[in-house]
Amino acid sequence: MAGICRTRLSEERKQWRKDHPFGFYARPLKASDGSLDLLQWEVGIPGKPNTPWEGGIYKLTMTFPEDYPSKPPKCKFTPPLFHPNIYPSGTVCLSILDEEKGWKPAITFKQILLGIQELLNDPNVNDPAQSDAYTMFKNDKTAYERKVRSQARDNFPK
Amino acid sequence: MSDDAISDYYSDEEMEYNYSDPEQDGDDADLENEEEEDYAQFTPAVLGKRPLPWEVEYESLEPDKLREIVNKDVEHVAGIFGVEPEIARALLRHYKWNKERLIEQYMDGPERVLAAAGLPAQSGLPSFSNSRSLAATKKPATKSKSFSCPICASTQPGESAMALPCGHTFCSECWEMYITSKIKDEGECDVRCMEEGCAIRIPTAWMKKLLDSHTYARYQELLLAAYVADNRNFEFCPFPSCDLTVMTPNFSPTPSALSTTVPTVHCGHGHTFCFGCGEQQDHRPLICAVVKMWLRKCADDSETANWIKSNTKECPKCVSTIEKNGGCNHMTCKKCKHEFCWVCMGPWTEHGTAWYNCNRYDEKAGVDARDAQSRSRASLERYLHYYNRYANHEQSARLDRELYAKTEKKMEEMQIASELTWIEVQFAKRAVDELVRCRTTLKWTYAMAFYLEKNNETIMFEDNQRDLERAVEELSELLESPIEPMTITELRSKMTNLTVYVQKRNEIMLNDTAQKYQDGAWIWNVSVPDF
Repeated sequence: MAGICRTRLSEERKQWRKDHPFGFYARPLKASDGSLDLLQWEVGIPGKPNTPWEGGIYKLTMTFPEDYPSKPPKCKFTPPLFHPNIYPSGTVCLSILDEEKGWKPAITFKQILLGIQELLNDPNVNDPAQSDAYTMFKNDKTAYERKVRSQARDNFPK
Repeated sequence: MSDDAISDYYSDEEMEYNYSDPEQDGDDADLENEEEEDYAQFTPAVLGKRPLPWEVEYESLEPDKLREIVNKDVEHVAGIFGVEPEIARALLRHYKWNKERLIEQYMDGPERVLAAAGLPAQSGLPSFSNSRSLAATKKPATKSKSFSCPICASTQPGESAMALPCGHTFCSECWEMYITSKIKDEGECDVRCMEEGCAIRIPTAWMKKLLDSHTYARYQELLLAAYVADNRNFEFCPFPSCDLTVMTPNFSPTPSALSTTVPTVHCGHGHTFCFGCGEQQDHRPLICAVVKMWLRKCADDSETANWIKSNTKECPKCVSTIEKNGGCNHMTCKKCKHEFCWVCMGPWTEHGTAWYNCNRYDEKAGVDARDAQSRSRASLERYLHYYNRYANHEQSARLDRELYAKTEKKMEEMQIASELTWIEVQFAKRAVDELVRCRTTLKWTYAMAFYLEKNNETIMFEDNQRDLERAVEELSELLESPIEPMTITELRSKMTNLTVYVQKRNEIMLNDTAQKYQDGAWIWNVSVPDF
């Protein structure tokens, strides 16, 4: 099984290098011995144009388990984002990332990243993961958007 | 000695104990008790027998029997719809085995129901002939040529490609890996296609073909577990490694049913549990919701409360809690400087020359001080009163294993000391069985009394409780008494009679409480949530 995990990831990497959505980046981290660690990826997700998230590129680490693709990777924003569906730890709460809900082995990490980008401006109020963003989103949309815009500015690529 | 003789003793004793209720003690009832006693220890309400009014009818099922019942349901639906059992099973599972709802909705629009259940839409309904064979569903996209599986990103020979009717093709190894992980890691028997958002179910035929025998067996177990979980009338025996299931055909553990009934059942291996809450003991006469409250209270409070109770007192003046960790009985409250005697709680000034040797228990001020203290601790003491009795019976019941062993030895002694045969000394074992059962009832009556509002019903309840308690203690004492060869016959008759009496008292207790649940006569002193 361990074999599948790495074969699959290097294939996904190949596909990604051939073609990937605009504004995104994704690269495996370097292990201590200088080789690439295919189980740990550093990823950037751009906010969609014409949304308060526009302009920011949000940094995320993806950790793949040894039994990927039977089990989904763990996606964590570093630093944690202000967003109703992102846990205070930065972990993303999304049905396709939950092995008991929507995760399927056929989902590629490209699909995951696009899914997370979609989630940014389209939070799921039925499944809140942090109270700050959730309460503000529910009670005061204007303040929420202002906060999101300022967060986008903080995440402008340098 | 014959059954008749035992009955004779029984009726003699009836008069002596003066508990008999002429309406209840018909000859028939007596005979039935005698008949049932030997083999019905664990199955007092097996299907087909008339259950006592406070019991639910049930049947203990071996795994094969359960499978048979499931298959009967499946075949019934398959017959009505004219589909493969496989399809019927998936539909039933999707509808949580609610046959009526499934049939109704299927008749309205089979396509919609099929799609919702993750089954492929079929041409030529209702024959389902194309899903018949595995070969038909397994049509590789590329015959004999090699293909690349998108999951493992490796090139595989064409034969290993497998697709469900949805057409999503992956290699057999990936399918196997995915299904195995779903079944083994997640305990999920309802496995769908690996493609994102595709809800097509993987048929049992695939499981059989792809999985190793161990995983396939687990899959079968999970199927049964799903059936039992979805069905209110079925429950697994909660005892570790017991594989039996109990079915109650005429009882569903709904909140309202559980507010008036305690559905105690026994699986075929002799395990007793509650069909409503899964508690691994007979908690009659107390209903599940209150049992849960009581157990939680005991887990939370009792240790702390016991410690406070046994190690502290309150200052009679300012009610500060004081722990006496040494020194004499002359106490001076650190907070209000009140001086009092630790033993009688009266003011120290009244002690005169009898200092350090309190013998003034009835002194007025001391009584008052103690009154005040007892008021402030009334609720705690009340709880402890019931808790201690509850715990005492629990402890005694826990010693039952020891008592069984001891009784067994005693029964051997009896055989040696007298002419009695093994069969004839069984009365001792019967006595222990009954004792254990009654202690369990008693235990829960104390938890129940704690939550009951004081009124006429509770006075009667406490009378019944007292009678049962007295009888139980008497029997317990008799079981402990030494055996003299001369008095064995007497002991035997006495014990047999007492056993029957205790059993009768237990029945009266359970009958009375059950009846009053039905009548809604019990008033709790706390609000009892639905279970």
